[in-house]
Amino acid sequence: MSQAGGDLQSPGGGYAAAYQSRPQPANLADILERVLDKGIIIAGDIRVNLLDIELLTVKIRLIVVSVDKAQEMGIDWWRHDPMLNADARGLADENAELRQRVEELEAQGGKRG
Amino acid sequence: MAERGRYLYAVCRDLDVESLGDLRGLGDRPIESVESHGLVGLVSSVDLDEYGEAGLRRNLEDIDWLESTARGHDAVVQAAAAVVATAPMRLVTIFNDDAGVRRRLAERFDRIHALLDRVEGHEEWSVKVLTRAPDPVAESTVAAGSGAEYLRRRKQDQESRESEMRDAHLVAERVHDALAAFAVASRRLAPQDPRLTGHTGTMVHNAAYLVPRDLSDRFSAAVGEVVAEYREVQLDARGPWPPYSFAMLEEE
Repeated sequence: MSQAGGDLQSPGGGYAAAYQSRPQPANLADILERVLDKGIIIAGDIRVNLLDIELLTVKIRLIVVSVDKAQEMGIDWWRHDPMLNADARGLADENAELRQRVEELEAQGGKRG
Repeated sequence: MAERGRYLYAVCRDLDVESLGDLRGLGDRPIESVESHGLVGLVSSVDLDEYGEAGLRRNLEDIDWLESTARGHDAVVQAAAAVVATAPMRLVTIFNDDAGVRRRLAERFDRIHALLDRVEGHEEWSVKVLTRAPDPVAESTVAAGSGAEYLRRRKQDQESRESEMRDAHLVAERVHDALAAFAVASRRLAPQDPRLTGHTGTMVHNAAYLVPRDLSDRFSAAVGEVVAEYREVQLDARGPWPPYSFAMLEEE
């Protein structure tokens, strides 16, 4: 079960429409988002400042470029990020609502016809 | 000799560490178990020069150290999850001794048991939807032309990008619906930075799905179907993962 479908490579190559049955070696971003942000969080005897870790995850996403520096450089992907940006999120929600509405109307139309 | 602490990787139950074979933890130290209230904590010793408060403050800023620690942590979690229901700990959960590990497990044993019940027999799948990258060759071969022509073309490019994004969000919703049908839970994660993953295109969907093991074939088939159906986007599905995104237990 290593692949599903036929042509899974994107024209640009690289990060293709991969379908893997084992995340090995998983990409660093996948591992970090899981081991840093997920799982059971209980305080050990060695206290790590969680704020430091959160700063670090942002830093990692920007590969050690500071947020201010990144904005200066025009790297501001999170501003257009639907998860983080209210406006963009609104568009996605609106799309979902419209789609649901269309499906409802289609269903009603189907019943009448 | 440097002072040592006990690094807790994951908690499970009904696991004999012998069954994990010669599994090694961080620093190539052997994995051992610490038991309390029917729970089995998987631990190994770590040097506090490296994993003490000062060491961590320094090392967490070092991407190479972080990567090898994250991969080492994940390797132990993966090995356990391949055998029994496993609740991963957040990276660098470290105690002075086994008594400290037992104390924490004892404080929360009922919630951890409930969590293990929830993930038992389930696997996590990671699914991402990305726009197809704009073709850089096509963009660079656009002749300069007149100023008006340039502006018109730029506007056109921008509009087509916006429309591509709208379409991609719609596809993402459909992909999500198709896959969520075979999952008992799903969780949206923040899109990832291309400089970390090397991907092209814009990530419009990054989600984790908790799939019952007996539905994993149907989930896989559904992934194959959406890959075939929505060729206008790139789809990346990986798994199975241990249930990291669904084994959440926050400090009260």
